[in-house]
Amino acid sequence: MVSQGPTSALLEKSTLISQGAEAAIYKASLALPPPSLATNEDTNHQDQSAVLIKYRFSKGYRHKTLDMTLTKTRVAGEARALIRCLRAGVNVPGVRMVDAAEGVLGIEWIEGKSVRRLLPGGAEEENEVLDEAQDVTEEEIDPLKDFGVSVDRMMTLIGTEIAKMHLVDIIHGDLTTSNMMLRPTTNSQPDLVLIDFGLSYQSALVEDKAVDLYVLERAFNSTHPDSEPMFQSVLDAYQAKMGKEWNAIKRRLDDVRLRGRKRSMVG
Amino acid sequence: MDLFFFPHLAPDRATTHVALFRNVKNAADLRKRIINAATMEGEAGEIAREDVNFAFIDARLITSRLHLQTAVYQSILAEAQNGLRTRTIHSEVLWNLNPTNNITEAIRRYGVSDATTSLLVVRIDGGTTPPIEMESKVKKVVDGGLVPLSQLQEVTDWSTIKKYHKLTNELSIKAVQEDPATQFAIIDNIVTSTVATKSVMA
Repeated sequence: MVSQGPTSALLEKSTLISQGAEAAIYKASLALPPPSLATNEDTNHQDQSAVLIKYRFSKGYRHKTLDMTLTKTRVAGEARALIRCLRAGVNVPGVRMVDAAEGVLGIEWIEGKSVRRLLPGGAEEENEVLDEAQDVTEEEIDPLKDFGVSVDRMMTLIGTEIAKMHLVDIIHGDLTTSNMMLRPTTNSQPDLVLIDFGLSYQSALVEDKAVDLYVLERAFNSTHPDSEPMFQSVLDAYQAKMGKEWNAIKRRLDDVRLRGRKRSMVG
Repeated sequence: MDLFFFPHLAPDRATTHVALFRNVKNAADLRKRIINAATMEGEAGEIAREDVNFAFIDARLITSRLHLQTAVYQSILAEAQNGLRTRTIHSEVLWNLNPTNNITEAIRRYGVSDATTSLLVVRIDGGTTPPIEMESKVKKVVDGGLVPLSQLQEVTDWSTIKKYHKLTNELSIKAVQEDPATQFAIIDNIVTSTVATKSVMA
């Protein structure tokens, strides 16, 4: 390795957290923290230099040119969606670096826990590389207690955040309880942060918003036992935030429930 | 003088020197000097250019250390991939900071102007130069008070930043109108993210 690019050097020094078919997730540090922070006591000013790296590695089964174009478009698309959300006040991680040529997106490291792991039934994750065995046993007591919120309150936060996103016509595309995190804050109330905008897109269609909700409903049902009242609280908060758009979405959601998320039955 | 240190980068790019000046008195002269250096020929030109081989940034438009660091890092990335959109890595920092694709506008807004009083001076490729030596080089060109980078928050001009980034009517900003501290944190996150995403925004 004579001339190694900055991004591969960064990946080499990072810790692999999770590995999927499309991308690998690393925890990395871009820069050393400033001296003022290193010496100061930890004033909840958690390490700003920590970033989460989403590395869309090259796929050998695709033609090189196609692979490059797809990767670039997806990295750019995800970064743009995050900025749109930030501007609209949706809680999402900020962007910290983009190297589209290498397929790398660096985003703000969110301290906290995924909603999936905070709810009953979600403790086991299949794709964890890190050993979190001791974490899991601790959580069995009452994971939500550390955050000072009830399950119902958390559902309200989820509904509100999704509504904020849909109000600016962003469709997440993969709403699950794994793609939401609860982040402790300095005030009493934690933030609910939406993550993984890899499948997101822009659309004002009622159909797309309803399907987004339906995907989440299915995720709740399949991951967490007895989740119907939970999802109902999500919808109640969503309705409150969406205002007059809600009626159309509600009607469409009922349709989608009958037919599944794929609209067209042809082909 | 302050440093950004990127441990994974090659030695000649790992260290970036940063200096924040307040009460700058020679902004107009400095601007002329930079322009002259760019057009001078021969050996004299080389020397003149080396003297002002920094990114000079209007500190009012920088929201945080991370904001500037992100612009520096994206410039280093662009250079490593032969993807510079401006002539030098230092002008690339200004280009990365500006939300539009207009280079002249980037330099006019984010560079040194005759009215500049708070100035950030950035040297990216000076890793081998000891900080003391770099400090004397910087002090030779800027007439002003060198202060710690932590004083940046005292000079940040939030309303101009909101204007340049067209943030005034965004829901995120409107929702926290009554709470400046929270609003500034949100603006900081948006502008830092915008800088990071610049290369794929076009």
